[in-house]
Amino acid sequence: MNDTHEVISAFLDDEPFDASELATALSDPAGRALLIDLVALRHIVQPDALVPPSLPGRRPAWRHLLAAAAMVIALVGGYFIGVRRNTVDTTEPPVPSRIVQANDWQSLPAGGGR
Amino acid sequence: MSDVEALYTANHGRLFRYFCRAVGHIEDARELTQDVFVRVSRSVIPIGPEEALRGWLFQIARNLALDHRRSRHRRPHVEVLTDHALRPASQDTGAQVNEALAALSELDRDVFLMREVAGLGYNDIASACGLSPDAVRNRIHRTRQQLRLQLSGQIATRRAAPMRRTGRD
Repeated sequence: MNDTHEVISAFLDDEPFDASELATALSDPAGRALLIDLVALRHIVQPDALVPPSLPGRRPAWRHLLAAAAMVIALVGGYFIGVRRNTVDTTEPPVPSRIVQANDWQSLPAGGGR
Repeated sequence: MSDVEALYTANHGRLFRYFCRAVGHIEDARELTQDVFVRVSRSVIPIGPEEALRGWLFQIARNLALDHRRSRHRRPHVEVLTDHALRPASQDTGAQVNEALAALSELDRDVFLMREVAGLGYNDIASACGLSPDAVRNRIHRTRQQLRLQLSGQIATRRAAPMRRTGRD
């Protein structure tokens, strides 16, 4: 490895480097081109997908709250539906919603026509 | 915060990025990142500074990545590094970067990715890969030279856009 490349790599990687060697390396156009190329290379190898997973076995707190709220709503809703059904008046027959009129009566023989 | 949670908070992003490029599939990368911490939770965490623990974590990660690659190669259909989410700039660039990385030896690729994608220092990489820091430096340098040649077109295109030294936009 030549010194130009080595010192530029060290600078790029935040490793210890000799400032005068870096100055010498960067005074050369090839050294400057190398530095810029390596930064560009670093850019193009980065993955774009930067949404890491959550810690296994742990869920965000809002999910627990949402589940608890859904359970409370289901319980309260079920309670009120039950109360409402129990308060329906059973002393009066239900109001008919449809009336069917039979016009032609048919006489069946004894035994129901069998 | 438990030791595992502290390790997770400090390192899950690095591990995930490393796996994204090391195995080339985003869902596998997510699973493998979780697998690292499943293993950590079942292990005795070594006592030491954060940097030393990072080397230990990446040693686990590297073993998982190697196992994953071997199991994938045993399958009849092999899909190499084609996840859409992994395209850095364009589909072409992503595919060429993936091909160039796939052509490296496993050790060179892991050393390079731990440095460039996960942002580990030479000592951490040396600890994770069982190398000396000098060997790590040499491998990184050699790999950079190789990729600089192979990806010269993509590098020239990327040079025209604003950049950061960290490589992250």
